[in-house]
Amino acid sequence: MTVLTAWRALGRNPTRSVLTMLGVVIGVGAVIAMVSVGQGADASVQAQIASMGTNVVMVVPGATTAGGVRSGWGGVSTLTVGDAKAIERECPSVAAVTWIRREVAQVTHGNLNWATAIQGSPPSFGRVRDWPVGSGRFFTQSEEDSAAKVAVLGRTLVDQLFPSGQDPIGATIRIKNVPFLVIGVLSPRGQTGWGQDQDDIVLVPFSTAERRVLGTGILGTVNMIFVSAVSPAAIESAEEEIRKVVSARHRTPPGEDPDFTVRSMAEMYETSLAASRIMSRLLAAIASISLLVGGIGIMNILLVSVTERTREIGIRLAVGAKARHILLQFLVESLVLSTVGGVVGTALGVGAAVLIGRLAEWPILVSPVAVGIALAFAAAVGLVFGAYPARRAASLDPIVALRHE
Amino acid sequence: MIELDDVWKVYAVDGGAAGNGAGVAVEALRGVTLRIETGELVAIMGASGSGKSTLLNVLGCLDRPTRGTYRLDGVDVGRLGADARAELRAAKLGFVFQSFNLLARTTALENVELPLLYGHVPPAEHRTRARAALAAVGIATLADRLPNQLSGGQQQRVAIARALVNRPRLVLADEPTGNLDTATSREIMRVFRALHAEGLTIVIVTHERMVARDAERVVLMRDGVVIDDGPPARVLGGSPAAGPPA
Repeated sequence: MTVLTAWRALGRNPTRSVLTMLGVVIGVGAVIAMVSVGQGADASVQAQIASMGTNVVMVVPGATTAGGVRSGWGGVSTLTVGDAKAIERECPSVAAVTWIRREVAQVTHGNLNWATAIQGSPPSFGRVRDWPVGSGRFFTQSEEDSAAKVAVLGRTLVDQLFPSGQDPIGATIRIKNVPFLVIGVLSPRGQTGWGQDQDDIVLVPFSTAERRVLGTGILGTVNMIFVSAVSPAAIESAEEEIRKVVSARHRTPPGEDPDFTVRSMAEMYETSLAASRIMSRLLAAIASISLLVGGIGIMNILLVSVTERTREIGIRLAVGAKARHILLQFLVESLVLSTVGGVVGTALGVGAAVLIGRLAEWPILVSPVAVGIALAFAAAVGLVFGAYPARRAASLDPIVALRHE
Repeated sequence: MIELDDVWKVYAVDGGAAGNGAGVAVEALRGVTLRIETGELVAIMGASGSGKSTLLNVLGCLDRPTRGTYRLDGVDVGRLGADARAELRAAKLGFVFQSFNLLARTTALENVELPLLYGHVPPAEHRTRARAALAAVGIATLADRLPNQLSGGQQQRVAIARALVNRPRLVLADEPTGNLDTATSREIMRVFRALHAEGLTIVIVTHERMVARDAERVVLMRDGVVIDDGPPARVLGGSPAAGPPA
């Protein structure tokens, strides 16, 4: 009833009502559009992080001090294949372990050459990193054991060395002048969250890398150990177990920093969550400001409206309206303005987000929570900014109001 | 039904442009004692500033006396708060104004329904009640017109219908013919007389002798006091063309 009355009152001056709503419409619309674009970007970043395996734990060699000179993280390879095997043996929360040694070197095929990451790792690499081959096959344990000269290429390397679209499987490439048979191509993985191309790589068996390519003086050292936990929930206990096992093997005195670091994707995941939380707060701040401006617009027009309709208020009071009836009438008008504005704004915002997504080819995520919050906020704005004009209308003296010209 | 006993109304007016805060008290009513019985048709006459509009505001429960008592149907209005007086207006009173005071861009029917929004009549009855009130003042066919599509006389009939729709005990009219030509004024007074004939109590404030002549009792005011009270023939004398007595 009251809503109907309010609707009619607003309908008597449609142009003004629409213009009044515009502030809220634009405010809500802008917020919905921005949040949708922001959350879309966020979701795609998180999907990428998840693609690296959320239940993966990394063990990286730590900083060492030699003669007062402190190397950075990973400066010296203190981790060994023995450490990795001990982790696999002794940690109950660990499902599988793999390790890598990596170096950038020139790879040639025919008259083409390309500098890429040469990575030696055991066959368990594909499983632990959840990175299957797209075509061909991965190398086997027997190839690992015999240090076979076989290679699995990343997508980027294939594009660089086989530009004519020729099937690389069965071809021979040279890594540091050593011939390798290409047995497989990895499925494309894209960039990491920080922009590194994960597909610019060639995988060879760990023993092959060690003995025939990288030619390191210290056999058995690794750059990094990847451990997959039995479940994402087991990551923390896996990290703890790894620390214990490796510390014991490295004879780290209690209370001293170990010479290795254990990291998990979960931390990275949390970092990205924290970033998106800051983003949401920023958006919320912008939202508040735009809705504040919209609210002030509503208050402004309602104050004009109260003055203009003083006589109407007088008539209503004379025929028996109580102060609270008048209060309610103006409050409801304000609420109708702000919520209708909110609904229209939501529609426009979603439309704008979809359009931006199409034009810029960005991922878009329209969150029902964001829509709900924006609408609730719009309604609250109507209540808060309608309160003052409504109180003013309700406090009018009927005699004075009736005499108002 | 109406009992006014030594009613005073004093307004505090600001001390003028100097703004020195020294308020000037204006005595709009200075001890009015008046009885109006159920079913009477009373005209209150007087020059502007005589206090007749203030008296009407008090009678209409829009204003409270500063001193003295006003009883409406035995209820002491002076003791009631704003909400209780609003309740009283919704239940017992109907208002008719000089400038009609209809809501613009609102049909005649909806204008008549307005008081029912604030009373205790169930919403289902609003339409029929409003149509009946319009029929009672002879404009049932104009229910869907907007005020700007109606003549002055028709608008005042809508206003009277609005005053009747809550079946009031008392209808108060403030210069109801002030904005109308002579012929239309007569028409409106015929409406009031017809309603009076059906037993409605009506108080009309006017400064037109022609209007006052249609009442059965005239109360003459000057400077906030009642100076004469009686049948029109005696109070107004024999000269219909003359203005209000000075």
